[in-house]
Amino acid sequence: MAAAGGGGKSFSFKVVLLGEGCVGKTSMVLRYCENKFNDKHITTLQASFLTKKLNITGKRVNLAIWDTAGQERFHALGPIYYRDSNGAVLVYDITDEDSFQKVKNWVKELRKMLGNDICLCIVGNKIDLDKDRNVSTEEAESYAASVGAKHYRTSAKLNSGIEELFLDLCKRMMEAAQVEERSKGNGGGQSASGRRGVQIVDDEPQAPPTGGCCSSG
Amino acid sequence: MSQKTERRGIHVDQSELLCKKGCGYYGNTAWQGLCSKCWREEYQRVRQKQIQDDWALAEKLQREEEAAAFASSHGAPAQAQSTPPSSQSQSSLGPFSKFEEKKTNEKTRKVTTVKKFFSPSSRTSSKKDSPEVKTSSPSTSRHASFDSDQVSKDFADFLKSMQRPGREIHKQCRSFLLSMSSKKDLNAEEVSECVQDFYQGLADRLTSHFKGSSESVEQVMDQVEKYIMTRLYKSVFCPETTDDEKKDLAMQNRIRALHWVNIQMLCVPMDEEIPEASESVVKAITDIIEMDSKKVPRDKLACVTRCSKHIFAAIGSTKREPASADDFLPALIYIVLKANPPRLQSNIQYITRFCNPSRLMTGEDGYYFTNLCCAAAFIEKLDAQSLNLTPEEFQSYMSGQASPQFDRSRLAADSDPAATSPALAQLRRNLDLLSDLDARQEALMEAARKLHAELPAWSESVRREVRDALEKQPLTLSRPAVTDNADANELPPQRSGGPSFG
Repeated sequence: MAAAGGGGKSFSFKVVLLGEGCVGKTSMVLRYCENKFNDKHITTLQASFLTKKLNITGKRVNLAIWDTAGQERFHALGPIYYRDSNGAVLVYDITDEDSFQKVKNWVKELRKMLGNDICLCIVGNKIDLDKDRNVSTEEAESYAASVGAKHYRTSAKLNSGIEELFLDLCKRMMEAAQVEERSKGNGGGQSASGRRGVQIVDDEPQAPPTGGCCSSG
Repeated sequence: MSQKTERRGIHVDQSELLCKKGCGYYGNTAWQGLCSKCWREEYQRVRQKQIQDDWALAEKLQREEEAAAFASSHGAPAQAQSTPPSSQSQSSLGPFSKFEEKKTNEKTRKVTTVKKFFSPSSRTSSKKDSPEVKTSSPSTSRHASFDSDQVSKDFADFLKSMQRPGREIHKQCRSFLLSMSSKKDLNAEEVSECVQDFYQGLADRLTSHFKGSSESVEQVMDQVEKYIMTRLYKSVFCPETTDDEKKDLAMQNRIRALHWVNIQMLCVPMDEEIPEASESVVKAITDIIEMDSKKVPRDKLACVTRCSKHIFAAIGSTKREPASADDFLPALIYIVLKANPPRLQSNIQYITRFCNPSRLMTGEDGYYFTNLCCAAAFIEKLDAQSLNLTPEEFQSYMSGQASPQFDRSRLAADSDPAATSPALAQLRRNLDLLSDLDARQEALMEAARKLHAELPAWSESVRREVRDALEKQPLTLSRPAVTDNADANELPPQRSGGPSFG
């Protein structure tokens, strides 16, 4: 769902989190939203839907992070999850070549279904395990560049790179939202009217006359 | 009247069978002695009156509010201004009541369909609405719209607190409902489009004209949704123009056919042996079933959210760490399979079509709803691979030729109700202990009885032995034991077997 309530003063973005089972998606969001890792004191009962409020260059941003089930058997359900999302974080485990292949599949699918409307982030997680690395950074980075995505290296365990990843993603999504707003011409008051593809502005003023007509008759 | 009815059983007078209105047609006791045509007129009259009352109530509330507003700004003209709305209510009555009538007819037709039996709420509501059942007195129809009356009243009360925007909103909502009643030929998607456009238009208007903050606009939109959708529910939930009903039944059967899917196949991280977990599972199932009984999309959505929270609680008490989507989705699928919620597809469609999009597309509720959609899609497409089974296994389970318990002990454990409930298991254990105790007690009693029986025999045998001994060796000689030589001489010669002293 495209951003911006009230004329671009604040944005709300939906970000989906994609990646195979054990790549550390959950640890990553928990680190980001609760700043905890494998902690006994994690307060939240769930790590599948988390929100974060940000303030970027004076603009309020509400970030909703949607975790997705990573098991292969649920792969076909992807489109239901990432429908209307502004960004996607595709996570792989740098020690697991397979998980990187999965990311490539996701990218292909996302580009096919959503075109360029979505900001993609490819994330190599678990860089603390560099000695077991199976996916080379160069390969991953060049791949990311080739599909118009950005590549990040993170470690949920060491709390490295995660803050930067989400901040960067937000900035990119804000840009995209502003571009979209401008291209629509009349950004301003009509927020989020893109979703339905119908301009109700014409329809709506007709309603009061009907009411008025009835009341006079 | 009742006497007459009794007499009728024996003797039937032709004139008594005719319509009481005297139109010449036959009447029916179910219709209070009227013929079908007169009954319908009578019924419509009462219904019209009720609708009129509804409107009058709404109008009264609005008039009060307007009067108050005008009194404060214009003083005297308030009286003059307050009259037109009532005439408006008269003119608007025509099409609206027809609309109501059509809905009722539709409802009546639908009552016969199977799916009505799946939902207790819809059953009761259809009972209240259908003229067939309501035969005793048309006045009971008052209850039919009690819900919507209450909602209208709440809505009016809510808007009252808002002064000018409130009036505007009320007007908009009413004219929208009116316009919807005249557009009966739209298909479900078009109706959805209209409602969504209305939401959007109203929200935009509130933001731009009345400079409402996004929170207050949200609040108003929630109330608007509640009002509008309670009014429209009957005509737009599972409408006949769609195949929602067919899909519902297909889903129902599908889930029934999948009754053998267990928690292990879905790899759900929930252990139902843990009391808290199984309690949460039960609550989650209750919530998802309850969804069907709500009328407002947002209330339905709230049921899904509550269900999800219970699932997280169940996972939490099993795993002791935050649940990720990897855990949650399989668990939700499991819950849906266990619950087999009534009219699942219709509800999903209804929420998708008529929920306020801001709530549905972002936010936590939206996330859980999306997962529910995923669960439904997964169940529809579920095959051997998605359960890690071979196609043969899947086939035989689906056809009911085999059941997925892997070994004998597992089978025994599963068919045993104690396996599913820890309380039962405890009970069973206690019973075992008790019966063990009982058996031991019994054995003890038996031994005691035996002892008791043996006791006389034993004392008898002792006595006999003593007697024998006495016979063999009379005691008379026991004293002189010390003087052996003298004794030996005095005594008669000893028998060889006796206790020897020498």
